[in-house]
Amino acid sequence: MAASFEDNSTGQPKDDALKSTAPARTEPEEDNDNDDDDSQEEDDDDEEEEEDDDEDEQPPLTRQARMQSDRAKMEALFRRLSTERVPVRVHDVLIKGNAKTKDSLIEAEVEALKTATTVQELLQAAGIANARLQRLEIFDSVNITLDSGPPELPGTANVVVEVVEAKNPLSGDFGIFSKPEARSWSLEGSVKLKNLFGYGDLWDGSLAYGWDQTSEISAGLSLPRFKGLMTPLMARISLLSQDWSKFSSYKERALGFSLGLLSSRNHDLSYNLSWRTLSDPSQISSRTVRRQLGHGLLSTLKYTFKVDRRNSPLRPTQGYAFVSTSQLGGLVPDYRSLRFLRQEFDLRYAFPLGLLNAALNFGISSGVVFPWGNGFLNRPSYLPERFFLGGNSSPVCTLGGPTSILGFKSRGLGPAEPRRQVGENSTTESADASSEMDFLGGDFAVTGFADLSFDIPLKVFRDAGIHGHAFACTGSLTSLTENSYREFSLTKFKESFRHSAGFGIIVPTKLFRMEVNYCYILKKHEHDRGKTGVQFSFSSPL
Amino acid sequence: MEEVKNGEKLTLVTRKPCFGLPTACPTCLPVYIYLRFAQLPFDVEYNLIYPDSDQIPYVEFGSHVVYNNEKGGVIQSLKDEQTVDLDSDVSGIPEWVSTKAMVESWLAEAVMYELWVGSDGSSAQKIYYSDLPWPIGKCLYFKQIHMVKQLLGITKGNAERREEEIYRRAATAYNALSTRLGEQSFFFENRPTSLDAIFLGHALFTLHALPETSVLRSKLLDHANLVRYAENLKAEFVDADSSSSSVSPSRSDPSSSMPKRGPSNWSKS
Repeated sequence: MAASFEDNSTGQPKDDALKSTAPARTEPEEDNDNDDDDSQEEDDDDEEEEEDDDEDEQPPLTRQARMQSDRAKMEALFRRLSTERVPVRVHDVLIKGNAKTKDSLIEAEVEALKTATTVQELLQAAGIANARLQRLEIFDSVNITLDSGPPELPGTANVVVEVVEAKNPLSGDFGIFSKPEARSWSLEGSVKLKNLFGYGDLWDGSLAYGWDQTSEISAGLSLPRFKGLMTPLMARISLLSQDWSKFSSYKERALGFSLGLLSSRNHDLSYNLSWRTLSDPSQISSRTVRRQLGHGLLSTLKYTFKVDRRNSPLRPTQGYAFVSTSQLGGLVPDYRSLRFLRQEFDLRYAFPLGLLNAALNFGISSGVVFPWGNGFLNRPSYLPERFFLGGNSSPVCTLGGPTSILGFKSRGLGPAEPRRQVGENSTTESADASSEMDFLGGDFAVTGFADLSFDIPLKVFRDAGIHGHAFACTGSLTSLTENSYREFSLTKFKESFRHSAGFGIIVPTKLFRMEVNYCYILKKHEHDRGKTGVQFSFSSPL
Repeated sequence: MEEVKNGEKLTLVTRKPCFGLPTACPTCLPVYIYLRFAQLPFDVEYNLIYPDSDQIPYVEFGSHVVYNNEKGGVIQSLKDEQTVDLDSDVSGIPEWVSTKAMVESWLAEAVMYELWVGSDGSSAQKIYYSDLPWPIGKCLYFKQIHMVKQLLGITKGNAERREEEIYRRAATAYNALSTRLGEQSFFFENRPTSLDAIFLGHALFTLHALPETSVLRSKLLDHANLVRYAENLKAEFVDADSSSSSVSPSRSDPSSSMPKRGPSNWSKS
């Protein structure tokens, strides 16, 4: 025996050496060599062979005969796999190719493989593990191979995970997006650094500039799995500046830190600490806004529960969606930080009508914000945290709280107050009286809409995805704080609703999604900024 | 302005009251006193969250607002719009003009130095930052100290020289004012002018709000007639008739209420 092994070590083809000496004891080893195949776990073409100690001794074969016998063995194996559960135990998971990435990260993603008991389960788990590793975005390619286990242990398999780490850790991005809070679209550029410390960490820095002079610079870190936590951890610091001078006569600057604590398909929990400053350089703000100028510390916990069973977020024709967002502010045990409670609900329902791919969409959303703590009944709510209705965003696509009524301008309805008067003439104001008003937002907002979308019966439009819609919107914005809730009555509430209706065309392109609508304002209040006519709106193409 | 004459009430927005003063901020106090001298009824509201704003103090009546960073300040704007002009007779007297200039430059600088650089900062913390959450208060405090040092031209090299210069000028100003006042009740023409409002504001702040170890305070205590002047006018115009001013805080209640103090025994440390 010793002689034959030495022969092997000098490089002679192992088979021949074994075959030539060929005592019965070496047969299993020979069989191992034949059966040892690296295999992919992908599709039907996968070859996968198990170690089979019980295989019969074989007489010496020619190459072609060997191939035929291999094929026969393979077909027998597939028959076995499709008809019965083939038991297997995973002996070891080997990780190759990670120079920088920590083993623990990869092992955590392939955890499920170790518990597989049959070959079918193993193949499935391997597919899932491959997808999860790809989703980390830090590898150029991922290969999971199933190999036979050590010869002395029958019925075992080894899993070999081969990864190729991304050569270039730096990547950049540039685009035009639409943020739900901003009035219109913004230019955004970001730089991403992947896997700096080997924990799958994703660092990114981004700069965004919006048409309404909103600008934000932020940096964030995302850790997919931090020390065994099930959900990814995200942290972000940002400096945001928003200019609301045209609408409410103030500018807002916020330096914030946010931590994503829990993020799954339906639940999202995050903590946000930010220093907000409201200022009025133009010095024309109204009394309510003047009282709120200054610094504030927001320490809030935000929980979002979301269920979206619609078949498409941009043009839903079937399904329902429900979002509930709760925010609790004032958790830092410093009684001077802003204390408020904010709750939003949003319910959507879509059902198809059959003809022309038409669908009817309904939605109702509401929100309320109220301060808490000492003297909360007399205190006003924090101005930037109030609800503002208006703007051109499509109510069908924006899910999450009351935000828009088509036909009204951004922040264009609700409680308003006259601005500071500059100059001598006090009473007679020329032309645009509403431009002298500050819109203060409200504490209680309700919006509802009904939207009928349909394909335009021309092939060229249908292929491009261009479709039409007819809609009706309604909404109300009232204030409750500072004892206004005492004057709240059902008649007044009904009176406060504004209505609009219209129709339009939606053009989705690769860069953006454009809507051209004709809106007719059915009911508005004296100082509201809403006009009957054609309006354009742009949003991100998603 | 028509609104004032029709009885629409003025509202004065200042920083918070403490140390026994209706407002403890040295820029707001003179405006308060000036309105008291003019015997105009007004409400007081407090802004507790914007210590670094130069718009405060401001006066509102109806939908008009007079900010402190416009047209030379609130007092000057009130005089310009003929709402209330206490200086109509004296504004031509050269001595009045130069005395006022001295108070507005040397003594204002001295108070700014003492409040932010010279003392331990406890007074500044109490007046400006006690209603802001701790991290914000601390950041703004350091930012303000840096700004004051830049404004007064104080660097590491000339810190001692500048301090000595500031105190020397303050002492000179006190001497001159003491001589000018003598035993009168007011500085000029035996009736209150904006100079009295400004100096009274300065004196009350220095005597009550600055700590007992303050150098500036001890220099003021050297002049008994100035101290008497401050105390008498405080009793007559500031403490008395407090029912005409209703206090309502902005955003949150001030963390300290106005402590009542009897006639004080002044002592130098």
